[in-house]
Amino acid sequence: MNHELHARAEKLIAQDRVEGISSSERDWLATHLRECPACAQVAQQTNAALRALRAMPIPLPRGLAERTQFRVQLRAQELREQEPKRRFLWVMCGVSWALGIATAPYVWQIIEWIGQRTGAPRLALEFGFGLWWAIPALFAAAIVVLENVRQANERDSSGR
Amino acid sequence: MADDTQALAQGLKRRDPDLLDHLIEQYQYRLFRYLLYLTSSRERAEDFFQETWIRVLERGHQYDGKNKFEAWLFRIARNLVIDWQRQRKMLSLDSLTDPEEGAPMEFAAENQPSPLHLVLTAEAQSGVHASLDRIPAVYREVLVLRFQEELGLEEIAGVLAAPLSTVKSRLYRGLESLRGAMQGGAA
Repeated sequence: MNHELHARAEKLIAQDRVEGISSSERDWLATHLRECPACAQVAQQTNAALRALRAMPIPLPRGLAERTQFRVQLRAQELREQEPKRRFLWVMCGVSWALGIATAPYVWQIIEWIGQRTGAPRLALEFGFGLWWAIPALFAAAIVVLENVRQANERDSSGR
Repeated sequence: MADDTQALAQGLKRRDPDLLDHLIEQYQYRLFRYLLYLTSSRERAEDFFQETWIRVLERGHQYDGKNKFEAWLFRIARNLVIDWQRQRKMLSLDSLTDPEEGAPMEFAAENQPSPLHLVLTAEAQSGVHASLDRIPAVYREVLVLRFQEELGLEEIAGVLAAPLSTVKSRLYRGLESLRGAMQGGAA
């Protein structure tokens, strides 16, 4: 029997377990395995290896699920407590932006007046106006980032 | 199954405590086993087990219910392990995940010789324990996902965030390594 036939058989043995083979390929393989003890042994070894892998027991640490459930409950409670704070933050951001839009023409008038008094270039005035708009968002982002960092630090110190 | 996973997604979005308790119970063995193969350390697997469920709680809204829950769960667990490993060793993700391009992924600490061996042989020194110890972690991982967890190839690709072709090639190599290792040869 030539080498190519054995190589094909070995390929099909693996392929059958990994992604499946067609019925014609299965028939060919079955015939080959009946005639070739070496390839039949490869098939047998593959089956034995997978059977052993599937049957291998892993002992669970005692109380793992209970301890995890407890930690998850604590974290869930924390998240529930943080929820109103976060909602408040978003409401404040919304109010601040609404006020920003409503008062924008007046603020621009003030900035223009400051510009006339100080002789500051128009670009600087526009930048100042933009910054005034962005301040609530920057504050909100800073609070969210700081909060996330605090939580990560807490998790690190309580976990690993 | 689609209805079940949709209901699961809704429950996770609500952070339903009973559902989470139930899921922790239901998947404890499978998740711990996967983490144990990934980290080769019982203590670390336990830490990551707890951390994974905290992530599930926090990011439950990201599970869309279109795929199997366990695939999403394993992906979270895997990402946590990789993040931790990267923080510790400052290795690139590529070198962690692609053995063909560098050192195979091994999550065990440097000062722990043959860690999976230590973990598993503490219970019983059967041939498969020792054989798995000889297989690179990337191959071990796909073997576990395919033949113990019985995930589909595309689901494994999702867990690994790797192309299907990579998953297949690792499975073929892993299977060959496992068979070779169980016969006492080099993996």
